[in-house]
Amino acid sequence: MNKELEHSFVTQLEENQNIVHKICRLYTNNSDAHNDLFQEITIQLWKAFPKFRGDSKFSTWMYRVALNTAITLYRKSKRRVRTQDFESVSFKIKSVDYDDTVEEQLKLMYSAVKNLNDIDKALVFLYLEDKSYREISETLGISEVNSRVKMNRIKKKLRTILNP
Amino acid sequence: MDNLELLKKQWQSREQELPRLSYKDIHQMLLKKSSSIVKWIFLISIGELLFWTILAFFVPESSKEINNGIGLKTTFLVINIIHYCIFAVFIYLFYKNYRGIKITDTIKDLMKSILDTRKTVKYFVVYNVAASVLLLIGVNLFYYTKKEQLYQLMVENYEGYASIPPDSFTSVFFVSQLIIGAIFIGLIILFYRIVYGILMKRLSRNYNELEKIEV
Repeated sequence: MNKELEHSFVTQLEENQNIVHKICRLYTNNSDAHNDLFQEITIQLWKAFPKFRGDSKFSTWMYRVALNTAITLYRKSKRRVRTQDFESVSFKIKSVDYDDTVEEQLKLMYSAVKNLNDIDKALVFLYLEDKSYREISETLGISEVNSRVKMNRIKKKLRTILNP
Repeated sequence: MDNLELLKKQWQSREQELPRLSYKDIHQMLLKKSSSIVKWIFLISIGELLFWTILAFFVPESSKEINNGIGLKTTFLVINIIHYCIFAVFIYLFYKNYRGIKITDTIKDLMKSILDTRKTVKYFVVYNVAASVLLLIGVNLFYYTKKEQLYQLMVENYEGYASIPPDSFTSVFFVSQLIIGAIFIGLIILFYRIVYGILMKRLSRNYNELEKIEV
């Protein structure tokens, strides 16, 4: 295997690994599954890398391959593990500007997002990553109008989950 | 502010507690093997294609003699030629669909190409089962019209049959054909339930979810 290609790939993935971690965290519930998925995404990215032509940003290309792996290719591991469940630590962040109520709301929001179905989760994830509706629609393979409509529906759904 | 907007604002600006992998960690992952659903579907599909192709070669000699003796030789030759042509078409389609699976496609296109690949194999199996059933019925009807001749041939080729009196031969023979056929088809259906249940459930559900968005 071409050493230069390998080096370029690993360096870029190392730089952009947060994207993959965020996807793993949304789509798995424990650290073993997280690592499994991360590894599968890495393998898929690496397999597709020789065809990556650099006409789009590495990170943009990564979103698609990583989400495709998480949603379509990855088989959920049935292994029972005793590692700490992510639910409680999933969005542990040090707050300076917000009080506990806001912090609590953020956590609730995050777990509501985690409970969405695989497709809705992908939409919300891209939305949180501040992707345009055009990019969202191009990643999912649906029309821009429909991704906007769907996102509004998800927002509504999340609102009702949080304020029944 | 909307809760989701709040989350979005925080999503970017604050550090989430994410793991951090080193260059070495990632580099080591490149050596690991993939265990993706596409790989499993590919392996199982190849298994199915091989199973049905090899099965076609496994007609016992004695059964060939019976069919030749009863006058089905040319019919079987023609059926076999057609059968292998159809096999070739299916294997080509499977290969074409499999090559079409691209991880860099949109999520929807990727799912569609995986489902299409699976569908080809499914039709291949449906074709085989249907062809087997039709052949079984056809041959048995033909046997029925020539049951005396069949009895003679069976006694010559299988020792066990000599102990069965000619009167009860018809019912013993056709009932056992029916039972074996039914068990065989039952096993295939069971296999499909299991394979589909495990591999395809999540994929089909997600694909339907995406389809629903476009309605």
